Amino acid sequence: MRLSKLVGPLAAAAIAMGLASGAMAQQKTVKIGAVFPLSGNAASAGVHAKAAIEVALDIINNAHPEFGNFPLAKNAGLAGLGGAKVEVVFADNQGSPATGQNQALRLITEEKVVALTGAYQSGITLTASAIAEKYGIPFVNGESVASNLTERGFKWFFRTTPIATDFAQVYYDFFTEMKASGAKTDNIAVVHDTTEYGVSVANTLAATFKEKGHPIAQDVAYTTNATDVQSQVLQLKDKKPDVVIMISYTSDAILFAKTMQALDYKPPMLLADDSGYSDPSFIKAAGKISQGVFNRSSWSVGPAGSPTAIIAKLYKEKSGDEMDDTAARQMQAFFVLADAIDRAGSTEPAKIQAALKATDLKPEQLMIGYKGVKFDDKGQNILASGLIIQLQDGENYVAVFPKANAEKPPVMPYKGW
Amino acid sequence: MRRTFWLAIAIVLVVAYPWVFSTPFQQRLGALVLLYAIAASAWNIIGGYAGQVSVGHVVFFGCGAYAAMGAYTHFALSPLVGLPAGLVASVAIAAVIGVPTLRLSGHYFSMATIAVAELARLIVTNTDYLGAAVGLSGPTVPRNVFDLSFISALPYYYLFFAVLAVTLAITWWMTNSRMGFYLRAIRDSERAARSLGAPASRTKLYAYMLSAGLTSVAGALYAMMFGFVDPDSGLGLLISVKILIMAALGGAGLLFGPLVGAAILVPLEEISNSLLGGKGAGLTFVVYGAIIVLIARFQPGGILALINRLWAKRKTKQESKQGAADAS
Amino acid sequence: MSIVLVQVIVGGLLLGAVYALFSSGLTLVWGMMNVVNFAHGDFVMLGMYVAYVVYTLLGGGPLLGAPLATLVLATLGIVVYFGLIRDVMKGPMLAQILGTFGLALLLRYSVFWWFGANFLSLPGDLVGGTFDVFGIRIEASRLLAGIVALLVTFGLHLLLTRTTLGSRMLAVAEDSTAAQLMGIRPDSMQAIAWAIAAGATGLAGALIATFFYVVPTVGETLGIVAFVTVSLGGFGSVPGALIAGLLIGVIESLSGYLIGAVYKDMVVYALFLGFLWFRPQGLMGKT
Repeated sequence: MRLSKLVGPLAAAAIAMGLASGAMAQQKTVKIGAVFPLSGNAASAGVHAKAAIEVALDIINNAHPEFGNFPLAKNAGLAGLGGAKVEVVFADNQGSPATGQNQALRLITEEKVVALTGAYQSGITLTASAIAEKYGIPFVNGESVASNLTERGFKWFFRTTPIATDFAQVYYDFFTEMKASGAKTDNIAVVHDTTEYGVSVANTLAATFKEKGHPIAQDVAYTTNATDVQSQVLQLKDKKPDVVIMISYTSDAILFAKTMQALDYKPPMLLADDSGYSDPSFIKAAGKISQGVFNRSSWSVGPAGSPTAIIAKLYKEKSGDEMDDTAARQMQAFFVLADAIDRAGSTEPAKIQAALKATDLKPEQLMIGYKGVKFDDKGQNILASGLIIQLQDGENYVAVFPKANAEKPPVMPYKGW
Repeated sequence: MRRTFWLAIAIVLVVAYPWVFSTPFQQRLGALVLLYAIAASAWNIIGGYAGQVSVGHVVFFGCGAYAAMGAYTHFALSPLVGLPAGLVASVAIAAVIGVPTLRLSGHYFSMATIAVAELARLIVTNTDYLGAAVGLSGPTVPRNVFDLSFISALPYYYLFFAVLAVTLAITWWMTNSRMGFYLRAIRDSERAARSLGAPASRTKLYAYMLSAGLTSVAGALYAMMFGFVDPDSGLGLLISVKILIMAALGGAGLLFGPLVGAAILVPLEEISNSLLGGKGAGLTFVVYGAIIVLIARFQPGGILALINRLWAKRKTKQESKQGAADAS
Repeated sequence: MSIVLVQVIVGGLLLGAVYALFSSGLTLVWGMMNVVNFAHGDFVMLGMYVAYVVYTLLGGGPLLGAPLATLVLATLGIVVYFGLIRDVMKGPMLAQILGTFGLALLLRYSVFWWFGANFLSLPGDLVGGTFDVFGIRIEASRLLAGIVALLVTFGLHLLLTRTTLGSRMLAVAEDSTAAQLMGIRPDSMQAIAWAIAAGATGLAGALIATFFYVVPTVGETLGIVAFVTVSLGGFGSVPGALIAGLLIGVIESLSGYLIGAVYKDMVVYALFLGFLWFRPQGLMGKT
């Protein structure tokens, strides 16, 4: 019927898009696409990731001699491509796997990016990387932990972050050492949400601990973005576990901290699994009532003048927040990708892919505490690892485990408020 | 005559679109418009024609999507095989929830459908067989053409176009049948329709089941295109609302209303996101929200209603001119 | 009964009172005036941000934040009525969903644009911390919210049943043409209803901010609870919403404790649907 009426605006919009992408095309730059949740429930994480990548861009594109031998910092641009500058095109996945895939397609075909990074939520990383695989564009992920991502037989997907099996081991080692120093760690409760993140980490922990003959005693699952968590805290209060492991996003983490104070519940040991407890918003909102909480992290600021300390400072200037582990892991993934492009000396996807496969970064070349970056056949970083940090003063996390990286000894029991 | 002429032109334009706007993203945009038009047209049968505002249609959308992905995940079959299974399941579910909820009037019906949708989402989130929170994926690499996993959006575009044509044909046929007559009567006043002997409960239930079945087809096609479904993207309330506002914005209860709505909202959302989303300041939705507000404020009956009105006005003007000419 | 179970029920009642509090505004516009407001949760969110701004800029607690939030939101209610709702009401019911959904996005992301996406929070001891009554822990901030919920419900109920303004508002809701013939101006009545509804919602937001986190998307979490509360209570019944709120709070709390937190929302939705089967007009709704 009146279909013609709607083709007009559609056409105008389509033309506008074509023009926009045409005008942006520039010579001598390497374009990388970044898909993150820049709106919706996870927007806070996405906005932090964007700031982290912008800091990385500053380090890569400008001369930063103060970084010493840190890769890509010394001279301006990518040396392997004659000093070419790196440009990142950000896109918002809106928390939807469909939008994430649409935007990944747009970045590949309209913006002509040579590689992609993102997309925070595992489900969106899954759909966005699927389109990259179809087009033969490298996709480097630094933060999604769902195990199925690297089980798809993809050739263009690389993941730098440690996954649940890695940190289950770290937790186990940590508990073993704490037990040796006199703490009780027999009765463990795991509190987790029912998102893919919460469930996959909880399941892996349960499997790993069971295998070691030390099964998890209590499993408290809840639906994320809860309006209330009193009943869960009371369940814990009833069972009195020695250790509570919290796997929560920021919203629920804040609510748990407040509710635990209100109901006067302090487990002897509280260990958080990164995510919400690493969010600087959490520390501002509930740090003072969560003193002594242990947390997993691969990031630590390090001594003054070190590359990590400079990065922390640059990041704070950029975003107004402290650097957290999630943003740091995303930043590291971006550095790994830029380093591969630099070594490839080319913007050809196949050459970047080959360089990524040949990646072998040593700990001193990283801004995060992995044992290195080296990918297996599936694209998973086999040298990813984490450390345990503690919020001793309610304001700043310090590394407490393993001993080699510890800034301070762990303090027991959990102090709370 | 005139109607057929315009319809022919419209069909030619839709067929030609992906050749005029031929970049992959533009083609995909076109396919998405058609996909959402299918869902919104399906919703239109119960929400527009029958006036029963279901805000839980995502249950059927998700049912189709999960059936398609489940067929692959659990039986290594083509997702296409899941489509009829999802359709049958959706119609059955619609019958089960339709009998008690369609008795409810107005807001209570809407609320009940919301509750059903949320219940479904929570149950699926905790059901391992359906992938729980992680969701179900389609084939990562297409095994053959029946996996419907293409790089180009072109096959999807024409597939969706065909399904949309069938959906609209069914709707058109329905509106011209006795059922359509009953539905309009129910929408205007259910009590009056009943007193005139229209089988209101049965008619509403049939419309609901028809609408559910077609919605599940949209869901299955969605999952095939994106190769993935999880509780939020397959059963989230936002999808229901999106479908609903597309129909409302285009013109609910009008055959082409949902298509017009989808043709406005989908590009608006994708393009505002492409242009503004990367800034990370939430501006996409400020613009998107503001435009919806403006349309609701100035055109509460939907865009197509406005076009129809202008059309009718022009016609009467022409006719009166004609009349004046005859008189002189 | 064990002390823990008492604690669970007390916690549920306090939670339910909060649900009732942020649903009261919706009862008025949705239940009485027959307008669906999809932006309701975002009105709560705005109330929370007002409280947050009052605290950070002026250092004021809810004593200052709550009245200010009420005032700001009441003004917004009037603006929304004249700017959008009045015209939208001329169209079909769907136009209300369309318009208020657009409004929800507009409000949510304007706040996002201005304040950013970070989670914010007020200090926990702004309203006197927590006290202990025979071993039952009660948060002062939640107790305050609960008391205000009772007062607001009682006030609204009196307004609608005992005052001329109330009966005029009801007359307009019932039949605006007839009301006009009787010399009542529907526009003013509707605008007043929106001001009261939005004001009560702002008040709720400001009080909830004292024990909840503040983030632009928080309205999504709270909005759906308000929808269930109002319809369970019965459209058009202010006391119904209070009872429904308390009921939902206790059911959530008990089922969360006894069965598991994952199931508590399922239990609420299932009971709600089952309830509609027996009583299609809600707890206290008119048939």
